[in-house]
Amino acid sequence: MDWLTALGFGEGGWGPALLDGAAMTLLVSSAGLAIGAALGSLVAWAKLSGARLAGAIGEGYAALFRGLPELLVVYFVYFGSSALLTAAAHLLGVEGFVGVPAFGAGALAVGVISGAYQAEVFRGAFLAVAKGELEAARAVGMGRWLMFRRIIAPQVLRYAIPGLGNLWQVALKDSSLISVTGLAELMRVSQLASGATHKPFTYYVAGGALYLALTAFSDRVFEFAEARATRGMRREAT
Amino acid sequence: MMSLALIWTTFLRLMAALQVTLSVWALSVFIGAFIGAGVTWMRVSGVKPLGWFARAYIFVVRGAPLLVQLFVVYYGLSSFPAIRASVFWPFLRDAFNCATLACALCTAAYQSEIFRGALSGVPPGQVEAARACGMSGFLLFRRVIFPIALRQALPAYSTEVISMVKATALVSLVTLWDVMSVALKIRNDTLVTYTPLMVAGAIYFVLNYLIARIFLLIEDWLSPHLRARRA
Amino acid sequence: MPEASGYALTVSGLRKRFGALEVLKGVSLNAREGDVISILGSSGSGKSTLLRCINLLETPDEGVVTVAGETILMRKTRDGRAVPADRHQVDRIRSELGMVFQSFNLWSHMTILENLIEAPIHVQKRPRAECLEEARALLAKVGISDKTDFYPIHLSGGQQQRAAIARALAMRPKVMLFDEPTSALDPELVGEVLRVMRSLAEEGRTMLIVTHEMGFARDVSDRIVFLDQGLVEAEGPPAELFGDPKSDRFRQFIAKERA
Repeated sequence: MDWLTALGFGEGGWGPALLDGAAMTLLVSSAGLAIGAALGSLVAWAKLSGARLAGAIGEGYAALFRGLPELLVVYFVYFGSSALLTAAAHLLGVEGFVGVPAFGAGALAVGVISGAYQAEVFRGAFLAVAKGELEAARAVGMGRWLMFRRIIAPQVLRYAIPGLGNLWQVALKDSSLISVTGLAELMRVSQLASGATHKPFTYYVAGGALYLALTAFSDRVFEFAEARATRGMRREAT
Repeated sequence: MMSLALIWTTFLRLMAALQVTLSVWALSVFIGAFIGAGVTWMRVSGVKPLGWFARAYIFVVRGAPLLVQLFVVYYGLSSFPAIRASVFWPFLRDAFNCATLACALCTAAYQSEIFRGALSGVPPGQVEAARACGMSGFLLFRRVIFPIALRQALPAYSTEVISMVKATALVSLVTLWDVMSVALKIRNDTLVTYTPLMVAGAIYFVLNYLIARIFLLIEDWLSPHLRARRA
Repeated sequence: MPEASGYALTVSGLRKRFGALEVLKGVSLNAREGDVISILGSSGSGKSTLLRCINLLETPDEGVVTVAGETILMRKTRDGRAVPADRHQVDRIRSELGMVFQSFNLWSHMTILENLIEAPIHVQKRPRAECLEEARALLAKVGISDKTDFYPIHLSGGQQQRAAIARALAMRPKVMLFDEPTSALDPELVGEVLRVMRSLAEEGRTMLIVTHEMGFARDVSDRIVFLDQGLVEAEGPPAELFGDPKSDRFRQFIAKERA
């Protein structure tokens, strides 16, 4: 069967499966990025607040996950949480190995790593927001929550977009490591296809091409988002 | 769950496997530097087809996960009869060579961008002053452009070098016995999950910390021109 | 121009265009040895471009530059652009010209002393000991001996510019080119640089100075060249030009600068 049929949507073609894998990759990467955003903003807040213990914990977390291989983190989260779950299940009388859902473990792993880098992006973005705007908000009598919702969060997001765009691409690529948990994302599907058809080159290149498509598409989306978000921003005089 | 004896034996076995990790890492960074320099040269050469090729190469290698690239080189290339019959086969049949090649090609793209950024960060005025003194060509590059660009590149280069240490963990998926795969084997054999992974984690973490410190020292040594003057 | 005429520098018919804009429309200028020539003009008049065409930091589209009797050889590329014909000649002639930039452009990764000996050793291939000795003497001459082993970032603007002048002098140049040497300096630092330049003029150096410092130009120059919209609008000794300006535009220019 030539490569065109092999990738196609007809009989024996792996096209649909690959696209499903790509969709799964998008889902798990988004979930990971979201978890990372939650963790990252927490750490950024801890560091910015000046509270020494919280800041130190945040710094420690970031340093830890920047120094560990991503694959190791995936294994640790997946096998580690599965081990916990299995132990708990044994207590309840359930025999055998109980695995956590691969999607959850994978997203958590990607998220925990992403959060370590997102912390810096958010911290930098916050510092970039002009102090004057915050003072003006306070002077008008805005309460802290309102100020956060209407002034701080939107501004920080604007400044954070370039950095986040980068980290999104990283999350997409890191998600390929979740394949070791068996989750049917793009990498795993490519693997299954090559194994089934003995055409590794075709399917790994096809998988790679799909990743590139996701990357290129994401580039456009973030460019657009950045252009829209920086409409009102003062540009540095060139 | 955590017996000291197990921790110790795990540690010893992982340290023995460290050699594989370090070899892949060092070779790929080193070879990648030369390939990356070549790609940068292609980009700044002004020759359109070369620039085009360089940009395409960087896009592909930075856009696709390293795991895919690794598998394409190791599993993909070996599936072609033409390659098996070629003069490259003795080289490509070996997992270590394939893994190092894939990693080198990957880091080359990232290093190329670092070099390019560093070159464009050299203040043009200082280059002009050198030209005005009669410097050009290789002399100009060697005495003015390269030293300044090198110092600019160091922080980003340090990050990339550490990224490569983390990336080598992937070679465990192409049959190499590096720290990662030995740790997994110990887990499989002993059914203890946390210990081998944590010891492996500790080894990687310390390694990366040491590398970061060394780069900071190098940066310090190379930039007396940026620090406050000691009385 | 015959070589025996003894001109240190001649420029004739220089034209330079940037895209659609013609910045130099045919400028000619001669400097004898020891001449101090100040080039004045408003921004956009082409004064910096003129200077930069002399040492080919900009490539003139037309015109001839001759330094100490040697003409810079030019040729046309296939698409009609003018380029230097001999790269080595350009390097050699540049090493005989000393240029001082508005933004100093000292090499940031070298100490002041290293900045001075860099080109003499590597371009002029002179022995290191000789270059070091001369460098130290020059640093003393411009008054920054105490900064010999410092890095440029540790010096004030005025000190950096004096170091840059010493660096140009270290090449033993036949002609010195100054491109608005004090324009980037805080007012209180301008004086120390002008003092150094004045002493160089008094020594008999051949100097071409693009400047906005009217007083300095008037006191120190042998000749003023006033550039307006890419052409030499007025030229002559300062007393004549400032005392009885025949050109309306020059008169307007002085009035504006004085305001």
